[in-house]
Amino acid sequence: MSQDILKMENITKMFGDFYANKNINLTIREGEVHTLLGENGAGKSTLMNILVGLYHQTSGEIYLRGEHVQISSPRKAVKYGIGMVHQHFMLVEDMTVFENIILGTKHDKSIFINRDKLKKEILGLADRYGLKIEIDKTITEIPVGAQQRVEILKALYRGAEILILDEPTAVLTDVEVVGLFEIIRKLQSEKKSVVFISHKMREVLEISDRITILRSGESVKTLDKSEVDAHILASLMIGSELVTSDYEKVESQQDDLVNITNVSYNEQSKHNGLNQISLNLKKGEILGIAGVDGNGQSQLAQLFTGVIAPDKGDVYCQAIKVEKFKPQLFIEKGIAHIPEDRNKMGLIGNMSVKENLILKATETDHMSSAKGLFLNRKAIKEHAKEMQERFDIRCSSVEQESRNLSGGNQQKIVLARELNMNPNVLVAVHPTRGLDIGATRFVHDKMIEARDSGCGVVLISADIDEVLKLSSRIAVMFEGKIVGVYSGINPNIQEISMAMTGKVD
Amino acid sequence: MENIMNLPFLQELLLSTMRMATPLLIVALAELYSEKAGLVNIGLDGMMAFGALVGFLTSYITGNPYLGILAGGLGGIMVNMIYAVATIQLGAQQIVFGMAINLFAPALASFIYKAYFGISSTLAQATLMEPMAIPLLSEIPFIGKILFHHTIIVYIAYLLVPISYIFFEKTKAGLNFKAVGEFPKAAESLGINVYRQKYLACIICGLLAGIGGAYLTTAYVSTYSDGIVSGRGFIALSAVVFGRWMPTGVLFAALLFGFADSIQLRLQIINPETPYQLLAMIPYLSTLFALAFFGIKKSGPKANGQPYFKEER
Amino acid sequence: MNFKNNLIKALIPIISILLALLTGALLITIIGGNPVEAYEYLLRGAFGSKNNIGETFVKATPLIFTSLAAAFAYKCGVFNLGGQGQFVMGAVASALIATTNNSLEGLPLIIVSLTAGTIAGGLWGMIPGILKITRGLNELIVSIMLNYVAILFMGYLYTAPLRNGSVPQTAAVRANLSRLMDGPRTHTGIIIAVVLAFGIHYFMFHTAAGFKLRAVGMNQIASFYNGFPVKRLMLISFIVSGAIAGLGGSIELHGTQNRLMSGFGDGYGFDGVAIALIAQLNPIGSLIVAYLFAVLRTGATTMQVGTGLPTAVIDIIQALIIVFAVAGSALTNMPKIKQVILKFSLASKKEED
Repeated sequence: MSQDILKMENITKMFGDFYANKNINLTIREGEVHTLLGENGAGKSTLMNILVGLYHQTSGEIYLRGEHVQISSPRKAVKYGIGMVHQHFMLVEDMTVFENIILGTKHDKSIFINRDKLKKEILGLADRYGLKIEIDKTITEIPVGAQQRVEILKALYRGAEILILDEPTAVLTDVEVVGLFEIIRKLQSEKKSVVFISHKMREVLEISDRITILRSGESVKTLDKSEVDAHILASLMIGSELVTSDYEKVESQQDDLVNITNVSYNEQSKHNGLNQISLNLKKGEILGIAGVDGNGQSQLAQLFTGVIAPDKGDVYCQAIKVEKFKPQLFIEKGIAHIPEDRNKMGLIGNMSVKENLILKATETDHMSSAKGLFLNRKAIKEHAKEMQERFDIRCSSVEQESRNLSGGNQQKIVLARELNMNPNVLVAVHPTRGLDIGATRFVHDKMIEARDSGCGVVLISADIDEVLKLSSRIAVMFEGKIVGVYSGINPNIQEISMAMTGKVD
Repeated sequence: MENIMNLPFLQELLLSTMRMATPLLIVALAELYSEKAGLVNIGLDGMMAFGALVGFLTSYITGNPYLGILAGGLGGIMVNMIYAVATIQLGAQQIVFGMAINLFAPALASFIYKAYFGISSTLAQATLMEPMAIPLLSEIPFIGKILFHHTIIVYIAYLLVPISYIFFEKTKAGLNFKAVGEFPKAAESLGINVYRQKYLACIICGLLAGIGGAYLTTAYVSTYSDGIVSGRGFIALSAVVFGRWMPTGVLFAALLFGFADSIQLRLQIINPETPYQLLAMIPYLSTLFALAFFGIKKSGPKANGQPYFKEER
Repeated sequence: MNFKNNLIKALIPIISILLALLTGALLITIIGGNPVEAYEYLLRGAFGSKNNIGETFVKATPLIFTSLAAAFAYKCGVFNLGGQGQFVMGAVASALIATTNNSLEGLPLIIVSLTAGTIAGGLWGMIPGILKITRGLNELIVSIMLNYVAILFMGYLYTAPLRNGSVPQTAAVRANLSRLMDGPRTHTGIIIAVVLAFGIHYFMFHTAAGFKLRAVGMNQIASFYNGFPVKRLMLISFIVSGAIAGLGGSIELHGTQNRLMSGFGDGYGFDGVAIALIAQLNPIGSLIVAYLFAVLRTGATTMQVGTGLPTAVIDIIQALIIVFAVAGSALTNMPKIKQVILKFSLASKKEED
């Protein structure tokens, strides 16, 4: 029976009033592969950031080999033998593998880099753990799988005993995943512990010794691998409450608004691309796209709104083939967009609320004369006030800079603007992220309204409850593919949540 | 035309090239250190002017041009600290603040000069730095005079090239330094103090830029006048780009621009009717072509020009 | 809300100017001068006589153009530091038309010449623009390099092909901008400048096109997602900015200098950048600050003659204004300080309700 090497006791982390982690208990044993399983926003990253010294916990204790420790900085974490391979690599692209590994270290007293000696050391280390690397190549010259090995080696070179891998298979091909698992086994045999963060069922079942499930910032359960199967995990992850919806789900019998046929974009990437997807959006329906963040949803949204053009395949808008992909043109076709990052993509922060509300309408006859030559300030202000009322935008005045509003109210600005153009298609990505219950309800009401007036709504959300509540049909995305389309009326939650994790029976 | 072909002329030309390239080299290296740490500093002209003034004044008062060089370096550091605090702590836009330095420092220099010497048309004279011939090596026919018969600053300037090369390529400190300009977040995560490295870069930049300016008024000539810098700071900027952010490249660029300068001056003397301006355009046009040709692929450290803010805990 | 914001924005240049003047007074005292006396001479030099006042407008005119050019560019998020070069190229184009042999005279000549200058400036400004949108080149270095090329090109012209006489300079232009009254050198250029400033202000804040340009300057990505043609808008801002500076050069040629020679247009480019930054990129603000700079310049010589203080004092004061203004801008943009300002503005608003 291997001993407990790390114990996180009653860890709570708050950001303002919000609980990112609430009384989480986690123990890691020596030489085990311990998986942290959970949806986006479950609190996995926050917990790990506390462990590597990037955050300080609000309350709770950490014990390393029985001794109480304070991990106050990344340097301390390294000292305690904790290393992390982040989802987004921290590698300097123009430097070589060797340089990246030794960066910031002081293994001897010399001011000069003793290349031969250090390279030998590193290659020896790499050999021991089965990490194949090309030590003199620059990062840009090696494939992503190799880059990950460099990150792992970086941690090992600094003496990591506990290695945290954050969604490591997100960037790997199937072959590379096999290679990674071999490396993990090797690490285990050398008595290193691995914390494996993932949402992919197949891999979790294959590699884990124990699994801790996190949901909404709390640790739900810790199970041994002998106690689990896919079904159990899926329901624990998502919560098996039956979702009651007040909304009437309507299955549309109308024409297609948008038809996506066999589209591929950035096919190679499993997490930033689209792989031969075919999808249709009907008039008067809400098409929910379910799936864990990072499975191609961003690209799908960008395709629907003209930000990207497909590498292969065609897109038809009301039966006419789309030749040019530009946001301008798509907006003219009546496609509205509530983007995934409202500050980066949706709003001009330094502009006022009223200006953001008419962002797309500066040349309309309502807001100006002579096609934009004379902006009608009065009309703009009145329109803004009307929108403020109708959409309950809480701000002290419509002249306020939009960056000063709370997230929820910023989202309402975007919503007001997009719905006001009476769109044919509404692409909504995480539309209720950061909104309180009342505001969420409001947004949902508006989306149903839009649907009822004939609009086709694409709802992309990592919040499965939201998708289940509103959708007429549900399509599940996994690694750039559409792995299933299900009815939204009396949806089969089990099937859908399994599909989300890639396990389709 | 036969004048150009003879040896003494050529020797003069190459000698002059080395002398004219020196301030460019020093200041370009100053900018190199700054940009390698991610700080674009266009206030070089300003630092040079201030260094020139401080150097000249010190040399005039003490009679020692070497002290002048030192003082010039310190003056450069002082001026650049204003830039450092504004850009590193306050996150001010680097370009904008560099501009501010360019407007402020020369004005201050001019003011101090006029305050000390009054307003007259004759330039005050300080001691000119004497060239120090390196024994034996300076006896070598032809190249001896060109390479080994200079003021000590020239030698130091050229020595800085291999020193910088060794620093950046062979030392741990140099590697950490470069990381700050490439990917500061990663550097921070590896325990490198990004703020400290940036301040260090500003100190080095100020020091070298100040020395480069002081060179102009203690070794090149021994007088100070407004406009002594005449845009060399911006040429140094383009030398960094043209030299692809490498010490050896910067050396090459400085020599090239120094050569263009020298030849254009000499051609003026030989043939005063020829408009020299077209030749004088060479450094600028070549920078443009270098940029256009190399494109953005090799446009310097990745995080160059971007303000860095340490994250909240 | 906007009013409070604008108030704070206007305070920065005002405080910077006051601080700079104070520091200047300090400097004067340090070297043994009398700041009150010095400033008195300064004001007398600027406003003491009709001719003096006229001079302030003469000096302000080119500064207004280059600062408007810079403000326009930066408002659209484009770092055009090539105002000097664009100014010069405008004058060059005008010189080519107005000093060489052709049949144009009088008003038609002026109109053609000014148009040519505007176009020349626009084209010169387009170069960094095209390089930026096609090859992603940083416009900063490109525009600075082009400054030198332009100045040298002008030098080449008045040394050789366009040279008139033994001194390196061109012939005088065949037509001048008319003076506004007898005595002072003030010419119609100032009127054009002021009208342009208001025109740009209107364009920026009351037209859809100006709105879009400002949006691009604030958030390129969001502008793109909302359907704005970002690349095209950026190129337009380069061209328009260059055109404004080019027009300024032509006007300076026809209004004040009358011929190209060594030192033509010296310093207007960077001073223009400084003015735009101090005025927080506001066109009307630029008008005011440009005039202030001109006042300082005009009064400087009188101050020097009257008190023996070097004109460099004025240079320092001008430079200090920009240092304080830029630092103040950065300071107020820091997240912590923004909170304080936000609290202040919200609190006062609540009192108003």
